[in-house]
Amino acid sequence: MSGSTVDADTLEPAATEPPERVVGSGDGADLTPSRRWLRVFPRRPGPLGLRRRILLIFTLGALGLATFLSFTTYGLVRSNLTTQRDRASLDRAYRNATQVVRELRDEERPTMDPALDALEANGTQDFVLRFRGQWSAPNGEFGEQSIPPSLRRRVLDDDTDARMIAVVNGRTVVVVGTSLPEIQGAYFEFFSLEEDNQTLSNVALSLLLAATITTGLGVLVGVLAARRAVRPVADASEAAKAIAGGRLDTRLTPTEDPDLGVLATSFNDMASALQLRVERDARFASDVSHELRSPLMTLSASVDVMEARRDEMPERAQAALDLLVSDVARFRGLVEDLLEISRFDAGAIRLHLEDLQVSRFVRNAVAVSSAPGLIVTSTTRAERAIIAGDRRRLARVVANLIDNALAYGAGEPDVRIEDANPPDERMSHVKIAVEDHGPGVPVEERALIFERFARGASAGRRSGSEGAGLGLALVDEHIRLHDGRVWVEDRSDGEPGARFVIELPAREPIDFVGASTEAGQEDLA
Amino acid sequence: MGTRILAVEDDERIREAVTLALEDEGWTVEGAASGEAAVEAFERHPADVVLIDIMLPGIDGFELCRTIRRNSDVPIVMVTARNDTHDIVAGLEAGADDYLTKPFQSKELSARIRALLRRIRPAQLGHERLVFGDLELIPEEGKVLQGGEEVHLTKTEFRLLCELALNRGKVFSREELLDRVWEYDYFGDGRLVDVHIRRLRTKVESDPANPRHVVTVRGLGYRLQA
Repeated sequence: MSGSTVDADTLEPAATEPPERVVGSGDGADLTPSRRWLRVFPRRPGPLGLRRRILLIFTLGALGLATFLSFTTYGLVRSNLTTQRDRASLDRAYRNATQVVRELRDEERPTMDPALDALEANGTQDFVLRFRGQWSAPNGEFGEQSIPPSLRRRVLDDDTDARMIAVVNGRTVVVVGTSLPEIQGAYFEFFSLEEDNQTLSNVALSLLLAATITTGLGVLVGVLAARRAVRPVADASEAAKAIAGGRLDTRLTPTEDPDLGVLATSFNDMASALQLRVERDARFASDVSHELRSPLMTLSASVDVMEARRDEMPERAQAALDLLVSDVARFRGLVEDLLEISRFDAGAIRLHLEDLQVSRFVRNAVAVSSAPGLIVTSTTRAERAIIAGDRRRLARVVANLIDNALAYGAGEPDVRIEDANPPDERMSHVKIAVEDHGPGVPVEERALIFERFARGASAGRRSGSEGAGLGLALVDEHIRLHDGRVWVEDRSDGEPGARFVIELPAREPIDFVGASTEAGQEDLA
Repeated sequence: MGTRILAVEDDERIREAVTLALEDEGWTVEGAASGEAAVEAFERHPADVVLIDIMLPGIDGFELCRTIRRNSDVPIVMVTARNDTHDIVAGLEAGADDYLTKPFQSKELSARIRALLRRIRPAQLGHERLVFGDLELIPEEGKVLQGGEEVHLTKTEFRLLCELALNRGKVFSREELLDRVWEYDYFGDGRLVDVHIRRLRTKVESDPANPRHVVTVRGLGYRLQA
């Protein structure tokens, strides 16, 4: 057996090799935190998702509505303002013109003073007056030259009243011109539009702000509505995932919404039916194995009695007895495995976790296996590793791997405990490997052999006296429950043969410095 | 006349086969097909060890266990078809000393019975009384006094207490106790220790919920203190 002892150092390179095929890691195990986050807001390739569609509709709707309302409001305000202003300025200009005519109609002197005085008295400043061919403008800002030529032409030459908007001295004004034939003159008055424009631009600014806010609110409402609309779907999706992951009692919370209530109800009905079925199947397997235990008990005890008298039997009876003994044992193992796996299916497994020194555990597990003489080798670091495990269940894992190696592995396997982390890294896992000298497992069958009662294409080669059974499927389930992984790969030394590796979370031991035996320790019973 | 075993099992074939196998191992076996028959047989002629199948018609195994425990500290091995935690813990709490799951091998059962019988004669403890506060052990007489009054313990409970008392203040791991009291290897069931400690506490502690003598040292095991 010394040949199977491997020096600790030579195991190091193998310990860092990535596993080829990983069985026993759940779907979520390889999710990094950021990818996990993405799952909450799923990326949808191709057509827009419901959520985005709702958001888009709300955004466009709000934007359209806000734009329409803003433009309408602006237009109304502007036309109102213009109408009012026109009416007011025309009224005022005509009133002033009438007054000018009244003042100057009977004036003999070539003076405009009475009219200017009258206009000044009612506060009019921005005007230009023509009287008997003479111009007068009391305000320096507007003069004869301020009148747009076209307006001047129409008023003076065509004798019509007119108004127009013009920019005079950088100011936008409306100029109202009235021909005054009674006094052979004309009256022009300037009304500033600056104030109106200011008002209008204020209105426009307010409307723009309002439109922006409205659109923003639309987006917000859209987000909320989208989330609300999608939530039942997201809930259902989460619940379906949970059910797929084995939590069969997952249900959707009933809602009062009649549309969504249908979804919740039918989903829950489906889940209940599924749970019932799975439980019935699991119970059936469990009942079957319980029922089988009674005849097995009789068989086992009777075989014991016969075995005690083996020497008294004829040779042929001895041979038959040996077959009986070994197959009763096999039968017993199968029933145990079936019961155990039905417990997994029913989710009824509760681990009794305790801190185990991995090397001590493995040596003890090997000692109670069907090959108690196997030598266990270990790297120095892994030797001291502590795992949190259910020792009886993990012992079955080791026993199953050894049985598997004995059945298919041609000769005695090597059992190794190895580091899973490089030497400069903190210990997070430890590996337990069972290497055999058999034909190995073809790559395409490496995942399949962990299935229940699996028989691959190479079953002919692999099948020995023992059936494939549930051994490796149970290994997978047990290791999964311990947050570990199990896989099969090629032997680490390049020779033909399979290497089954279990990787379990582990840590390095904390050395107690005698504190544990001192009196007055905490009592947390 | 060898050691007498009362085997309580309702399945006739199993009862017969187990009886044959156990007789092969050198025990004297009396079978009982029901709890009622077992109580009657036990009253007529107390056995040295009782083997009880949990699933019995009428009085079930747990009830039978409790009934026998009322008057006797005879070692009881419970046989269960289910190794579910619930059944095992309930059986141990009903007073069983050990358990086996069907189908067991007769060698295994014999080994368990031998360990149980050895347990009746505690390890060499010397003659002096061991005193832990108001708790007093008299190994010679197999007696335990709590506040001066005798406490009735089963053989296994007494043996467990003696082991804890042997090395004053030492913390015993479950594994050590399984080895010393039950003679189990590395893969013994820790629940045996836990339930027996619980049973022991209800008898020797004035407040079993806040034990003063039989204390848990978290992550390490149990210890007996004054």
